[in-house]
Amino acid sequence: MSDFLSQYSIQRWLEACPQGYLDGTVYGYLPGQSEPEELLADEGMREQAISTTVQLVAGERAALAASSGLVNCAPDDASKLFLATQTLDEARHVEIFCQRLYDLGVKKEDLESTVARYANPNLVKFAEVLLAKVAAGDFIAGVVGQNIVLEGMAFSVFEMMEAGARQLNPKFAHTLTGTIADERRHVGFGENRIGSLIKQHPEKREEIEKMQEEMAYYMLAAFNDVFSNSPPPAAPSDAPEAEWHGVNLTAATPAQMEELLATTVIGEFKTRLNRIGLEYRQPKVPA
Amino acid sequence: MSELETMIVVDGAGDGPRQRYELEDVGFREVPKQWRKFYRHWRGPGDALAPNEVICPICKVVIRSTRELRPGDKVYCMPCMSRMVVVRGADGRLEADVIF
Repeated sequence: MSDFLSQYSIQRWLEACPQGYLDGTVYGYLPGQSEPEELLADEGMREQAISTTVQLVAGERAALAASSGLVNCAPDDASKLFLATQTLDEARHVEIFCQRLYDLGVKKEDLESTVARYANPNLVKFAEVLLAKVAAGDFIAGVVGQNIVLEGMAFSVFEMMEAGARQLNPKFAHTLTGTIADERRHVGFGENRIGSLIKQHPEKREEIEKMQEEMAYYMLAAFNDVFSNSPPPAAPSDAPEAEWHGVNLTAATPAQMEELLATTVIGEFKTRLNRIGLEYRQPKVPA
Repeated sequence: MSELETMIVVDGAGDGPRQRYELEDVGFREVPKQWRKFYRHWRGPGDALAPNEVICPICKVVIRSTRELRPGDKVYCMPCMSRMVVVRGADGRLEADVIF
């Protein structure tokens, strides 16, 4: 088989992504799709949807800053090209989730104040840990933080949200389907590129594992905030069942949702880190 | 046969003829059209895999082959661009190990 780095080309990205699964979409969804009327008419549900979408915007802005920053510290052209495509993917994600805020009734002039009001402080700290590595020009730590920790979390969160939205909100589910497809490439690059680099730089393990511990702490704290401190409203009693990893999302309590997400994401972290030669570090339990 | 097509499955060890499978496009839109039949979405822990299928451990897509898979076969996951080798897991089922 040929060198894996040779797969990372703009041409392949064009064929798979804009000419492939995004073909015919508008801001990630199909023309004619819209947010459900029941959601727009219920102030509590609408505010919850805005709050959730703001977390996605905040996460994607961090991913955009990280992937664009990593282009210049990548050690080879193939990685630079891949990260350039990832930069555009992340920019698209920022745009489509901002568009969802507008679709939910947020005025364009209120975008920044809305993001500032709802963005979870622990999610912001999670991003700051990653962006400090990128700002320092640390390619290996930056890719682990971005493509394994951040993208690994996003992958599970998006999958769970897509499963929950499939029947209730096909427009949002379609938007998420495209982002999940993008995340597959991003986690693949993270593992494939770092799997070989970490073998060449074993001295980086301690520092990277410490970064992962810090990021996992803030991630779990953010989950705790979202599900325990300001739980989403219960789904309507006639809502269709939505299952993810064997759990009925429609009937699950906020505590069960938090547990499900935390165990799924942490389980994935452990597996992914082990595969590339790193050990998962359990953070102290968030307050 | 293109380079990519040869990367979908490369023969590993194994005795005897392999069962063959006709693959159909089952709606996996994340790769260009000519490759779609080789992949499908995984439906979660209750989703039973056929003898010609294995899950990509990185991106959780099901990789499908035109032939029954055996340990030692090398498979390629186009959605996450990863190469892997088929192994038999502790529970006896086929799994894929990523080749870095």
